[in-house]
Formats: sequence, C-alpha cells, structure tokens
Amino acid sequence: MSSVLQVTNLSKTFGHGDIFRDVSFTLNAGETIGLFGPSGCGKSTLGRCILGLEKLTKGSVLFEGKDIFRLDRKERSCLQAKMQMVFQHPEVSFDPRRRLIYSVTEPLVYHEKRESEDVLHSLLPLIHAVGLHPGILDKYPGQLSGGELQRAMMVRIYSLSPHLLIADEPTSMLDMSVQAQILNLMKELQKKNSTTCIFISHDPEVMQVMCDRIGVMSEGKCEIMNKNNFSEWIQPLLVMDTMEKDHYECLLTS
Amino acid sequence: MNTVLEVMDLNVTFPTRAGAIRASQQVSFRMQKGEISVLIGETGSGKSVIGLAVLHLLPEAAIISGKINYNGREILSMSEKEFSRFRGRDISLVPQNPSGSLDPLMRCGKQISESLEIRGISNLKQSTEVENILSNLQFSDPKLTAASFPHELSGGMRQRVTTGIALASEPKLLVSDEPTKGLDYLSRKTSMKMFLHLKHIRKDTHLLITHDLDLARMIGDTIHVLYSGEIIESGPVDEIFSDPHHPYTEGLIAALPRNGMKAMPGMCPGLIDLPSGCYFYSRCPYQCEQGKTIHPAIIPVNGRRSVRCHRFSR
Repeated sequence: MSSVLQVTNLSKTFGHGDIFRDVSFTLNAGETIGLFGPSGCGKSTLGRCILGLEKLTKGSVLFEGKDIFRLDRKERSCLQAKMQMVFQHPEVSFDPRRRLIYSVTEPLVYHEKRESEDVLHSLLPLIHAVGLHPGILDKYPGQLSGGELQRAMMVRIYSLSPHLLIADEPTSMLDMSVQAQILNLMKELQKKNSTTCIFISHDPEVMQVMCDRIGVMSEGKCEIMNKNNFSEWIQPLLVMDTMEKDHYECLLTS
Repeated sequence: MNTVLEVMDLNVTFPTRAGAIRASQQVSFRMQKGEISVLIGETGSGKSVIGLAVLHLLPEAAIISGKINYNGREILSMSEKEFSRFRGRDISLVPQNPSGSLDPLMRCGKQISESLEIRGISNLKQSTEVENILSNLQFSDPKLTAASFPHELSGGMRQRVTTGIALASEPKLLVSDEPTKGLDYLSRKTSMKMFLHLKHIRKDTHLLITHDLDLARMIGDTIHVLYSGEIIESGPVDEIFSDPHHPYTEGLIAALPRNGMKAMPGMCPGLIDLPSGCYFYSRCPYQCEQGKTIHPAIIPVNGRRSVRCHRFSR
C-alpha cells in the first residue's frame, strides 16, 4: 500500500533556535499517529509545517507522493483541500459574524463552486451523523457550546472528505463527557472515510485511546513509539495514582 | 460546631430577553473546618455561579435567593461595604485563567506581598514570607520566581502564583475555580502535588470548583456533583468514585479514557426551558416512569450520602 504522508528529516528553526530537528515518519491510509509532549515542545508547529501553514527550514513533506512546497498555487490548493486541520479552540475557529450555516458550507462552495443551499442539502446526512440538529446552523458561533461547535467543525472538515486530518488538541477545552463524545465521533468518521490522522495532544490517556503510534517530542527530537512502549514510558510520569498518593501522604505526615 | 460555610437553598437566576436562565437551583451544602469540598460539573452546570455567590461577585442583574452562612453570619444579604471586609481576608479566590488575573507589569513576588500588606506584615519580613509561600507551592527556586514577571513563567507556574496570592492573606475559606484547566500533564501533576501538600501542612477549608475528576479524587473530602444548576449527588469522595448512585455520575466516570471512554448520549438541557420531569431523563439509561413527569427531590442515602434520583426514593 502506498503511503499517504511521508515526512523526511523535517527541521524548523525560529529566530532563537531549533524547534525540532530531523523528524521522519511515514503514514499509511487510515493510520493515526499521535504527537505528544508538554506545552511549548513544538508539536503544534510540526503539525502546521506538515500542512504547509509554516515554512520549513529543512526536509520535505510528501503528501500522496507530491511535495506540497514545490507545487504551483493551483495544484497546491487542490491538494490542500484534502488535508484539513481541527484547532484547539472551537470558539475562535469560526467567523463570529457569520451564521454557522455559512461556515459549514463554505469549503464546498469554494472548492467545488456550488450553491450554498445545494451543498447544505448534500451535507444533511453528515450533520445528522455528528448529532447536530440542522436548525442549530442558523445560529451564530457565540450562541453555541464548545461541544456543538466542535461537531460543526467535523461537518465542515469531513464535507471535503479529507485524506489527512491534523487534530491539534481538539478536546482540551471541552468537558470530560463531551470529550468522550467528540473523540468517539472522530474515530467513527475516520474509520468510515479511512482518513489518515495526526493527533496532537498533551493528554497521555487520550493518546493511548486514539493512536496507533505515538511520537514523543522533547528537546527538539521526535521519537516514534508503538502503543506498548508508550504506555511503559508514560507510566512513571502519569498523574499520581492512589498508591502514590498514599506514599506521598506518608512522607508528609512522618 | 465547626461549620465554616453553610449554603442553604441558593437560587440564582439571570433574566435575559430569551427567558430566565436558572443557573443555580436549591443548592444546599455545608463545609466543616479543614474540609475540601469539590463542586464537580460540566460547563453550564452552575458550579462557578456558586463560587461567585460565596464571594459576592455575581453581576447586579442576577436574582438571588437563599442563605449563605459564613461562621454563623449571613453573608448573602450583606451590603457590598460590609462584605468587603471579608473578601480577600477571610475568603479568598483563586481565579480561573491565571494569565489574565496577574498584573503583567509587576513582579510575581510583589503581587504576593500585596496580600501580605493587608495583613499588616512589615516590609522587612515580606520577602522572606513570600519565599516561604513560594517554596510551599512546589517552586524549586522561590527567589527567582519572586523576581520574575508573569510572562516569564509557564501556565502552570502562573496558576501556582495566583494560588500563592490567595493563600498569602491567610484566608479561612479558599475558593478555587478550575485550577487545572488547560494545563499539560506535567504542570497538572505539579499542581496536584501542590494542593496535596497544602492540604497536609495548612488544612485549609477549601471549596474547589472543577471538572477534573482526578484532581477531585486526589485532594477532595466531599464531592457535590452538579447537573443543570442542581446538586444531583453528594457524598465522600471515595464512596462516590467506587459506587456512584446517580446515572450521570456513573456516566462521567465511564467517560474517562482509562475507563473505556464511553460517551453519554445527548447533551445537557438548556437552562432556560428545563424539562418538567427529571432533568437527566432524556439521557438516562434507566428512564424510570416517574422521571418523565415528576422532578426528583434530593434524598439522603445511608447517612452521609444523598442523591437526586427516583430509583433511590423507595
């Protein structure tokens, strides 16, 4: 099977130094890789570089065999419709002055030059699939909750049936129960469309549920681990479990 | 008795053009001295509103009824002038969003010593006291932190500095609003350690508002679970986690990734037109007959616990 994404020796330098060096990995269709690390380790920047939102310092990104940085504008635009990103803050990812219906239909109206109403009609099954009531689309983003907006974002993104999805902490601002709903929804949509996914998060538990392989980023390096290695590696760093709590209390009281 | 805070039948309503938003309904609980009570709930469940009511910080438009007793004195009906003697001295707040709560142009040490000034601690002693506080907050180099500006610190460190400001006034009641929101796993772990440490050395009476179940389990003594503005279940932390009674509490625990991330269907009802029966009815896996029309009352179960569910009313 041919790979959807091939990242080779990717490096990025901002003015003050290297963000990451020589990151390489290959992704097949339907596979999920996680990017994990503390705040400020460069995981979001890596995601943005792969998508072409940031310029690379070194290395190459091949998306379906083509180098996105060497294409002309028109070809790149076509290709980029197939790579989509979900951002961390759903409330600022939508135009606050436009009704949701505009933002949700916008990608197809733009890329396929179709009428907005026609697009909406064809999107109805997807809107129901993510658990949204179509009436909600007449509202403005400010009137909806984070969970509802993130669902609308799923409609917006999956309307283009992307081959690559980069999710940058899609649920870190959501409640635990809403997080479970959104992540299950993402998994379902991903399976149905066999989308390749790069999942960025700082929550080790979410990582283990969502990803096949996990790239741990620290000090500019990105080490790819499989699931088992990752659970072993993360165990000592995890939030104190009950045993450790008892131990800690002993220390304090003695 | 050593009851520090007693909230009785607190109702908070915000009138809006679309209708009245019932942010908090018939909320009652009490806190003993040295107890950590956790208010757990989702966005819009009314947990922050309770914290703000205790601190007299609700907007003027809010319609408030009920009573809040602090050390035997009713504080809810006090005038702003009377209450200002309590806020920041007896009752302190650790606000949500530490980055927006710190003065960007003032060094962190100075911001903490402002609270010390209120207590009348002389300038000479202030800097050693600040360092004491900071070392209790798990800072490895208190001197350096005291001399830093907020933008030089990470999100987790800023959160701990705001806790320091609240603690510097030696409050008898600490209210903290979502202290671990938006922190990564390392900062979150350090914050939890800090709260656990503070619990043991200071024994503060602490009203913790959060949706972080791990934090609640780690440091809490009692939990009150909120849903659509009401307390739906209360009890000791260990019992609630090992044997949740209310289906919503069950659902919250099952939604944790480590428990299989099973999502509850549906969403919370809007606070403007709440259903007449049980608020949780449409999402409830049990869906008892009474729940469709009759709103359940909160009933005591086994002495120390209480739950708002028809299944326990027999």
